[in-house]
Amino acid sequence: MNEIYQQPLFGIFLTLIVFQTAKIIRGKWKFVLFNPVLLSVIFIICFLLVFDIDFEAYNVGGQYLGFLLGPTVVALGVLFYEKYEQIKENILPFVSAVVVGGTMSIISVCGIALFLGATEPIIRSIAPKSVTTPIALEIATTIGGVPYIAAGIVIAVGIFGNAFGPAILRLLGIKDKNAIGAALGTAAHGIGTARALDEGKLAGAYGGLAMCVNGLLTAIITPYIVKLFLL
Amino acid sequence: MFKGVLYIFLFLVLGEVIVYLFNLPIAGNIIGMVAIFIALKLKIIKLEEVKPASDQFIKYMVLFFVPYGVGLMTFYDVLKVHWIAIVISTVLSTILTLYITGIILQKFGKNE
Repeated sequence: MNEIYQQPLFGIFLTLIVFQTAKIIRGKWKFVLFNPVLLSVIFIICFLLVFDIDFEAYNVGGQYLGFLLGPTVVALGVLFYEKYEQIKENILPFVSAVVVGGTMSIISVCGIALFLGATEPIIRSIAPKSVTTPIALEIATTIGGVPYIAAGIVIAVGIFGNAFGPAILRLLGIKDKNAIGAALGTAAHGIGTARALDEGKLAGAYGGLAMCVNGLLTAIITPYIVKLFLL
Repeated sequence: MFKGVLYIFLFLVLGEVIVYLFNLPIAGNIIGMVAIFIALKLKIIKLEEVKPASDQFIKYMVLFFVPYGVGLMTFYDVLKVHWIAIVISTVLSTILTLYITGIILQKFGKNE
């Protein structure tokens, strides 16, 4: 029986079937915590715990899916080009907003976590919390964090932004749709951008581009900011 | 579609080679992302050629990071100790990021 778990097919098939089920659940109930990724992750963890299967056995197959995040990051460059054409006339204020917001994201999360007594590996893992998962994983790995913790936090941040982002922004007096889109893309990457699309197509474009710009920015500056905090 | 996949892998390889040659402290796929953007901008490659493939990668991106989310289970002990610091810092920082980005663009951008 144990041999079945050790094959790549096990992890891949389990992920595919769970993900499809999660999508069906999401289609039936529009509840915000029924995010397909969140549901899939929770369900697979429960499955592995119940049947006493190691993560390493699951990941024999899982890593093949994870590998595809590499080309996905490159694909984001294509998205970046497409969206760039759509918002050219607003590019300077837009880039400024994303750069300042993205920088503050890294500084504030590291500062607060350090203040609350988080250890060095934790800080190195949560520093890229606002950028899209494939880029966050690369950043966390590069600066000596734990990619699995980074992935979990990034997904949680995305769901938080998706669920509460627009309400928080409106409460704070931000009513412009493009600004809401850019804020969601910068703070809560692709999962937040999905919500920005509810505000309109252009707001979605702002979100998508913000996600790409912030991903690049964070990849470049995170090593330096983290170094300042963890001398 | 196949040509698009080929281009994407080509730029991924290019990014890895650049990182290796110049010893950059950044991931190869991120360099690949910048390189494919520049190639599109300079019209070295056409959007129609890569878009069918890139759209598929982006569409299924969430599926690809499920295994990493599952990996969180191996860090249960670490998370048990630090979860308060993690939750408070990420929530506050996310709200701050949302606000700063939104307010700058609302103030200085051309609005609808």
